[in-house]
Amino acid sequence: MTAIFKKKQEPAAEGEHIVGNGLSKKQIRQIHMRNMNKEEIAYLKRKEAMDKVWPIARFFILFGLCFIILYPLIYMISCAFRAQEDMSDPTVMWIPRHLTLKILKQTMNAMDFWHTLANTLFLNIGCSLVQVVTCAVTGYGFARFKFKGKNLLFGIVLMMILVPNQIIAIPQYMEFRYCLGIQPLIEKANPTLAQKFNLIDSPLTMYLPALMANGIRAGLMIFIFRQFFKGLPKELEDAAYLDGCGPFRTFIQVMVPNAASSFLTVFLFSVVWYWNDYYVSSTFFTNNSTIALMLKNLNTLLSLELFNSATVEVSPREQIIWMEAGCLLSVTPLLVMYTFLQKYFTEGIERSGLVG
Amino acid sequence: MAKEKRQIKMPYEKRKAMYGYGFIALWLVGALIWFLYPLANSLMYSFMEVKPEKGGMKGTWVGLDNYIYVFTGDANYSKYLVNVLIETLWKTPLIIIFSLFIAVILNQKFKGRTFARAVFFLPVIIATGPVYSIINGNISSSGASSAGQFSTMFSTDLMGELFQFIGLYGINENIQKMVEAVSNNIFGIVWNAGIQILIFLAALQNIPVSAKEAAQMEGATAWEYFWKITLPYVSPMILACLIFTVIDSFTSPDNAVMGRVLDMQKDWQYGYAAAMAWIYFIIVLAAVGLITVILNHFIYYEVD
Repeated sequence: MTAIFKKKQEPAAEGEHIVGNGLSKKQIRQIHMRNMNKEEIAYLKRKEAMDKVWPIARFFILFGLCFIILYPLIYMISCAFRAQEDMSDPTVMWIPRHLTLKILKQTMNAMDFWHTLANTLFLNIGCSLVQVVTCAVTGYGFARFKFKGKNLLFGIVLMMILVPNQIIAIPQYMEFRYCLGIQPLIEKANPTLAQKFNLIDSPLTMYLPALMANGIRAGLMIFIFRQFFKGLPKELEDAAYLDGCGPFRTFIQVMVPNAASSFLTVFLFSVVWYWNDYYVSSTFFTNNSTIALMLKNLNTLLSLELFNSATVEVSPREQIIWMEAGCLLSVTPLLVMYTFLQKYFTEGIERSGLVG
Repeated sequence: MAKEKRQIKMPYEKRKAMYGYGFIALWLVGALIWFLYPLANSLMYSFMEVKPEKGGMKGTWVGLDNYIYVFTGDANYSKYLVNVLIETLWKTPLIIIFSLFIAVILNQKFKGRTFARAVFFLPVIIATGPVYSIINGNISSSGASSAGQFSTMFSTDLMGELFQFIGLYGINENIQKMVEAVSNNIFGIVWNAGIQILIFLAALQNIPVSAKEAAQMEGATAWEYFWKITLPYVSPMILACLIFTVIDSFTSPDNAVMGRVLDMQKDWQYGYAAAMAWIYFIIVLAAVGLITVILNHFIYYEVD
């Protein structure tokens, strides 16, 4: 005790030295408290109380909300592995009585799963990669350069976000069907060659717009990139310009490395949007299937697969197991990618925190 | 090299402007082909009676007939439109506040944070697709599945009962109504807030450490820290999130007005469908424009 009294005379600024003397944390705190006025002590006490209560409240909030989010997924897994009769068994709630892979296999056959998956991945990853790059370039152009008509052009970007796909889908269909009006010209001269100019069902219907930063939700991606680049400090580029670096090289060597996290975020969005899209693909594809399209038509496909006719009715209650199995199948690849990317993803966000 | 030399003679501002055009050129060409031209076409269809034909669409001019019919002949359209507008109006602020709140929580340090983040972003990868409509259908349709239990759990007046249980009777009716609106629609809100949480979290991570340290030195409480530091720094992203939320709810294919437009397209009534879509679009445009103009006064850009 005498040791503490001796230390009491020392100013609070030398508190760090006391730690070295082997005092417990509690003792150090007492010393600090003596030098404080009433207000400071009240603040510390309030803070302490909050620090104790908040984690518990936080746990309940997060736990409840996590349950709401995970519920449908747990239900999917529970349904996909149960037998048909379990659906009408009132004692089965979560854990199926008969574990079986039969339903899953039937659904996979109906969806032609592996073939569809390969096709979807080809469209999805390729388009997303291309589109992230083109949208970043465009977003940077809008964020950092002054030119005539910029506001008007950015208005077009905003329009792209606002205009629902449904408005422009049919004229776009016409463009692809007749290859921007080239096909009718060729048809007079060479009808067989003209067949090749029908882009419907071709992956080009997805790739061409993506290549020009006009794919699915491209407007939003440009907008996000523009907001992001606007938030980066201007000194970064000024330094590069002073060193004699041109704008394109500055973009690639200075801005892109700084924007790595935002690239990852937008890429993830893009992959997901392409994966989940069924409106655009159902407009342009009649024979070319993606997972989302298959899932949308799962009802008819299943009737064909199971009973060889599209008209047989299964009770809606029992249909659910196939639907849930289909959902599970179409969500799993995304989930795998997501868990894999999640690590890089949060790291990316945290790294950008250090930059800012 | 010769090219470079010629460019240097140009004034600096003008040269930078040229580079600006260079950056957006690819997009501009794309937008002309894949966006503006189809958009103009669709506007034209809305004044026509359209029939598909070899080599393109063939239409006869009918003037404003399509537009007039939308309001006089179609009983469902106005009803759907009002419903969608009202729903967007109260759901959007809820989603924004909720996602900012969750983002602030997920930005704190605690055990299991990685897991919690992973779960909250999960709707991002599911909610835009057909899987969501199946899940949502399961949950809202009672009796069709054992998920009926789940839906009753969230749709009954749980909050009201909770208030009674705690003994809170006299609280403000508006607050109670708000709490009930949140609790009854919690599924829709949580499932539609994934991207907003993601954007907010990224913005929170970008708050400079110096600002945080300064606030701590001054003894800011968590409450003060939120209003004085967090909110100004994330304000550009609030605008982004707000616009995103509004658009998302306006353009989702599950939305009643969009459903009506699609039904008309399936009936080959392209002209009429285009007119409906355009009226809807102009309303959305007005709404978003209003939000942007109002919010731009409150946004804080670190560098401008």
